[in-house]
Amino acid sequence: MEKEQIALEVIGQVSGRQIISLKPEQELVADLGIDSPKGLQLLAELEDRLKLEISDEDAAHMNKVSDILEYVRQH
Amino acid sequence: MHPARGIGIFDSRGKTVQWRTYPELLDGVRRSAARLAAVGVRPGDRVLVCQPTSWGWVDAWCGALWLKALPVGLAPMGNMAAAESYLEKVEGVLERISASWLISDAALRHEARKHGAHRTAKAVRTLEELAALPLNAPVVEPHADAEEIAFLQLTSGSTGRQRAVMLTHRAAIHNTQALDDGACAPHGGHTQARIESVVNWLPLYHDMGLVGTLLYCFAHGYDFWLMRPETFLGRPRLWLAALGAHGRALASAPNFAFQQCVERVEPSELVGVDLSNWLGAMDGAEMIRPETCAAFSSKFAVCGFRAEAFRPCYGMAEASLAVTIDRQGKGVRTRPVPQGVGGGLDLRETVCTGAPVLDTQVRIVAPDGAPLPEGRVGQVCAKSPSVFAGYYQDAEATAESLQNGWLSTGDLGFLTDGELYITGRTKDLLIIHGHNVMPHELEWQAESVTGGGGTARCGAFSIAKGTAGEQAVLVVEVESRDSEALRTLDHGIRSRIGQTLGLPLADVLFVQRGQLPKTTSGKIQRGELRQRYLDGKLVRLA
Repeated sequence: MEKEQIALEVIGQVSGRQIISLKPEQELVADLGIDSPKGLQLLAELEDRLKLEISDEDAAHMNKVSDILEYVRQH
Repeated sequence: MHPARGIGIFDSRGKTVQWRTYPELLDGVRRSAARLAAVGVRPGDRVLVCQPTSWGWVDAWCGALWLKALPVGLAPMGNMAAAESYLEKVEGVLERISASWLISDAALRHEARKHGAHRTAKAVRTLEELAALPLNAPVVEPHADAEEIAFLQLTSGSTGRQRAVMLTHRAAIHNTQALDDGACAPHGGHTQARIESVVNWLPLYHDMGLVGTLLYCFAHGYDFWLMRPETFLGRPRLWLAALGAHGRALASAPNFAFQQCVERVEPSELVGVDLSNWLGAMDGAEMIRPETCAAFSSKFAVCGFRAEAFRPCYGMAEASLAVTIDRQGKGVRTRPVPQGVGGGLDLRETVCTGAPVLDTQVRIVAPDGAPLPEGRVGQVCAKSPSVFAGYYQDAEATAESLQNGWLSTGDLGFLTDGELYITGRTKDLLIIHGHNVMPHELEWQAESVTGGGGTARCGAFSIAKGTAGEQAVLVVEVESRDSEALRTLDHGIRSRIGQTLGLPLADVLFVQRGQLPKTTSGKIQRGELRQRYLDGKLVRLA
């Protein structure tokens, strides 16, 4: 399965939203209600499912859905 | 000294552990103190420590203490987008406590320079820089008077500036004794016979993490297993797995953490983990939800967790940590909230947070300060050797909270059979995920988006909803009724608050100007605002 598709699945699961409603420009906290605990859950799930190790620095720059998709594409 | 016991710090993934025995810890602390002295830190200097939970943190904080400087734990920046906001806060803290040392990293210094946070940039010393220093003569073994201020704890202030709680050696040590006495009751006997280890992920800049676990372990020589908050929040099962692995254990957490375990961890992920050795599940730092405790006990019973392990407790940084602890060990007990109680978080029943700890008196007072009998709700006040010495360089704030050795907590509650039940707060404070958030922090961010703050104001408060716990609500006065404009505003506010405070908002209400109740001097009455919200009396424009 495409990496971006998996990422969207994880975002949908953590935010409780349908994948179809997710848009690249959505902000994780403001639009999807992903607070600090959920944000860390999101990172952990992305790591586990995509076999990644996301650095604190990279994580600090992830504010929108598009940031995550971009990261996943490059790793 | 406890030669065989020690401290194990997990890496950020919760996989490997760096272990040091207590004697090794002490050697590391002496070296760290020597490095701090070499860079110019002097006794009495305030030293901010901003590191992830790590040996770097422990060495820096303890090293400063060893040098008789005052260590001050500082929460790290959450989000890169919040850098400006965070640096403003740090500049404020540095000024507030007249500090010129900030043990952090090159990244923070870089950000500080970028944003013109000059004081911060100048104060930063990295661990690498300290490690590279040639060591002079070793630091003289310190002798401290019990009444000397040992360290400072930052806490949210009511006027936008963080306050620094001053804690003496006596207060901190007393509280570690009080914690042990409370946690091991009613079994009695020597405490070391009951608990062997403490497993903690709470941040060390938080009172429950610092006093409740780190200083507690140092005082009693328990094995101390430390992991980062992010490690727990990313993979909560790692905490439970560590608890199962490390003998007769004690672990503390706020309610939301137990709720996270209920929602995200399956017993099937904990095969071979025996939680029957988890003797003390200290539950405090925020409102305790009985439904959460019940769900947790029920779900993890199959792993051996006993509901009686739950130990509700109540405290705050101004009391070092613990004011009351459940001593009965019968699990979570509740009582109905007395009729007609205001200032509450819309609770119907409230959890017993136990009896006052060692040498501690608790009384309930009316608004005029008159003590109230059992069963009556009023402000919780406490007096004990654990109570703080005041706020650093803030006589006014100190006078508000401390009178004749009595701490006015700003929390509301009642006593029954000598045990405390918390019903709400007089102070305008939100506690979300165990962290204090002042309403003006939310309001200022919102007003920076609306351009209001003059005559069009905002009011923030929290409501409690079942197992979700406390959540933030914002009421915003607006001129326009245009739904498109309000939608944009809503997004802008949520975005801003999300980035700067990392909080989602349970509700954002737009109302007509004049809907926010205010005193004659224009101060927003947040308690009244919350009540109107709960009663459905606010007219929502959008």
